[in-house]
Amino acid sequence: MSPARRWRDWLSRYGIALAFGALVAALALLSPRFLTAPNLLNVLRQISVNALIAFGMTTVILGAGIDLSVGSALALCGAVAAGLAAGGLPPPLAMIAALALGAALGLVNGLFVASAGIAPFIATLGGLTIFRGVTLVYTDGRPITGLPEAFDRLGNGVALGVPVPVWVMLGFLALTHFLLRFTSLGRAIYAVGGNEEAARLSGLPIRKVKLFTYAYSGLSAALAALVLTGRLDSAQPTAGSGFELDAIAAVVVGGTSLFGGRGGVLGTFLGAAIIGVLNNGMNLLDVSAFYQQIVKGGVILGALLIDRVVAAGRQ
Amino acid sequence: MALLEMRDVRKRFGGVEALRGVDLDLEAGEVHALVGENGAGKSTLMKVLSGALAPDAGSVRLGGAPLRLRSVTEAQRAGIVMVYQELTLVPDLSVAENLALGKLPPLVAYGRLRARARELLAQMGLQIAPEALVRSLGAGEQQLVAVARAFAQRARVMVFDEPTATLSAAEVEQLFRLIRRLREERVAVAYISHRLEEIFELADRVTVLRDGARVATAARAELTPAQVVELMVGREVHAYQRTPHRLEEHLGTFEVEAPGLAPLSLELRRGEVVGLAGVVGSGRTEALEAMFGLRGAARWQGRTLHRPADALARGVFLVPADRKSQGLVLGLAARENVVLSVLRRLQRLGVMRRREERRLADGWFGRLSVRPPDPERPAGTFSGGNQQKLVLAKGLATAPAVLLLEEPTRGVDVATRQELYALLDGLAREGLGLVVSSSDTGELCGLCDRLLVFRGGRIVGELQAPLAREEVVARVTGAQVA
Repeated sequence: MSPARRWRDWLSRYGIALAFGALVAALALLSPRFLTAPNLLNVLRQISVNALIAFGMTTVILGAGIDLSVGSALALCGAVAAGLAAGGLPPPLAMIAALALGAALGLVNGLFVASAGIAPFIATLGGLTIFRGVTLVYTDGRPITGLPEAFDRLGNGVALGVPVPVWVMLGFLALTHFLLRFTSLGRAIYAVGGNEEAARLSGLPIRKVKLFTYAYSGLSAALAALVLTGRLDSAQPTAGSGFELDAIAAVVVGGTSLFGGRGGVLGTFLGAAIIGVLNNGMNLLDVSAFYQQIVKGGVILGALLIDRVVAAGRQ
Repeated sequence: MALLEMRDVRKRFGGVEALRGVDLDLEAGEVHALVGENGAGKSTLMKVLSGALAPDAGSVRLGGAPLRLRSVTEAQRAGIVMVYQELTLVPDLSVAENLALGKLPPLVAYGRLRARARELLAQMGLQIAPEALVRSLGAGEQQLVAVARAFAQRARVMVFDEPTATLSAAEVEQLFRLIRRLREERVAVAYISHRLEEIFELADRVTVLRDGARVATAARAELTPAQVVELMVGREVHAYQRTPHRLEEHLGTFEVEAPGLAPLSLELRRGEVVGLAGVVGSGRTEALEAMFGLRGAARWQGRTLHRPADALARGVFLVPADRKSQGLVLGLAARENVVLSVLRRLQRLGVMRRREERRLADGWFGRLSVRPPDPERPAGTFSGGNQQKLVLAKGLATAPAVLLLEEPTRGVDVATRQELYALLDGLAREGLGLVVSSSDTGELCGLCDRLLVFRGGRIVGELQAPLAREEVVARVTGAQVA
């Protein structure tokens, strides 16, 4: 292997981690408050909702799909969990019901994509609109408040010095990584996303694999919904709008190919962390919120540009 | 002085010297064949010529003037055009519009456009309607249109890289007629092919490349096919001929019904190699795909095969024609590809048994001598022949009773091809039933115990080994009716 090629391989594998390290180092120099345990835990807690959604999104994108409905699914699952709990159902049951609902919503998306053959972008765009509408009908457009203690503990609690949402995020990260890298289902997801025709000729159950990825994405949106509802101590009918784009940003910054078959959830975690650290750092440095958006967009484009260069070099 | 002169062209990719100082002359009005094994440097040389690749050293002169080609567009402007298999036509525009593409005025006078197209097509001896949408043409006709367009845009040097790989015999004939027209029009044609019969039919001169160097250039009349192969390989190679062995008991019968195919039945015995011969569109590919559950419905051992998973469950595996788009997931490691059809067997409670997996992949790498012997490399980084071995390994890992193969050696170099033939022979000796569909009649004659000839969606003849190539060709082309 030539040195240039080896360097490129190395860059494509560790580039994200390198960029993350550089960013952290730069912010540590610029702001004394950045590299402190409370601030870092704060960053992790802030990214937890986006990261949870993005983990599910990663599985869909690895299978060469996309899920635009996650923000609306989050709102609906949060509202249903809050509504059931406020109505007297024991919180654990309300939460499980919301998770089941999330998976079911994802399954509906998956049926449109995998069984009806509708393009993922369109099928989940439908989901985005319909789930939001159902949420507004269910909540009558008003926030649901008066939630039991359990939601607050999930959203704002601390265990062993670490915020509970961070534990949830890390746990789901481990679960998703294990699923993708160590199970036959995970292998099938990579194969379907990498070359669906070859996967079909290899006898893999394409339809089931796709259904699973969408259901998993719905489940992760529901998990994010529980964390967010807990943090806000209420369910907002407009919660989660635009979250799908943040999640996709984390996935692509994390090095997963939008064409499917290449990438992973550890990269997505770093992608979400880069975006989170960037937001945090710019807040600490008193950068105006207007400029923050410009920088964030630039980082997303930069990440994709690096990916292009690396991919071109591989040809 | 030749129209085009390439001198001492060198190109290195990392540690590999792809071209070590190659000279090539192309005369106006000649068809110049470039032959050599995979990796000999033919395609690299032509990429340099067409501006797609910058050489490390060397010069290119066109009509005596030095050329520095920095891009394909520059080369095209200079009159050097590469005809790609993936065509550069716009499918939803008409033939006439495609012929004028890039030169269309802001306001198109369609009558004039069609008239000019008709004139050009007639000059090229093509019977294609100018108003037809390119989408409605077959792959062969599309290629002809692309060539005509290059000619209209004053191409002086045209490069063909394996242009007949996806064409039927009739389409090949049309293409050859067109290339001869180009020769009469004083175009210099460089022609790359693995098929020697094409070269001996078409070429005026032949240049043989080996390991990035030119080993010979000679007029066609001065060479025999055997000599060319010898120059390519550096040693004498005989056409592969399998020694038949005793066939064992009945294995099963495929009852195939599929759209566009007359119902057919194919009985297979253990250890038997059955060939399917026919031009593209004759139904042989469709029949093979139906046996794998990809179209229509085939019955095998009392079960109906609706999808590949059904076929796999009954011990039937298909090695598809296109390794890159159908056979492999190029971005995954070779190991992951090899085990793709046996994931279920390699998991416990859904979790992959990594050690088993590695052992299985290593085993097949050794048995098929895949090179380089590193199962962790992405499948896309292996050469064509070794990619084919990976697809075979994936199939053999399922312990199949029947192996269906579509164009098993397409684009595979001569040495690896021999290796694959020996491998298939070994599998037949172990008692597998093999069905081989191929456009290479030499390959079918060398491999098969029995040959079914397809034409117009039905079996029109059956031949038993020993098979004579002339007879097979005559049957396939319809020159001799069964």
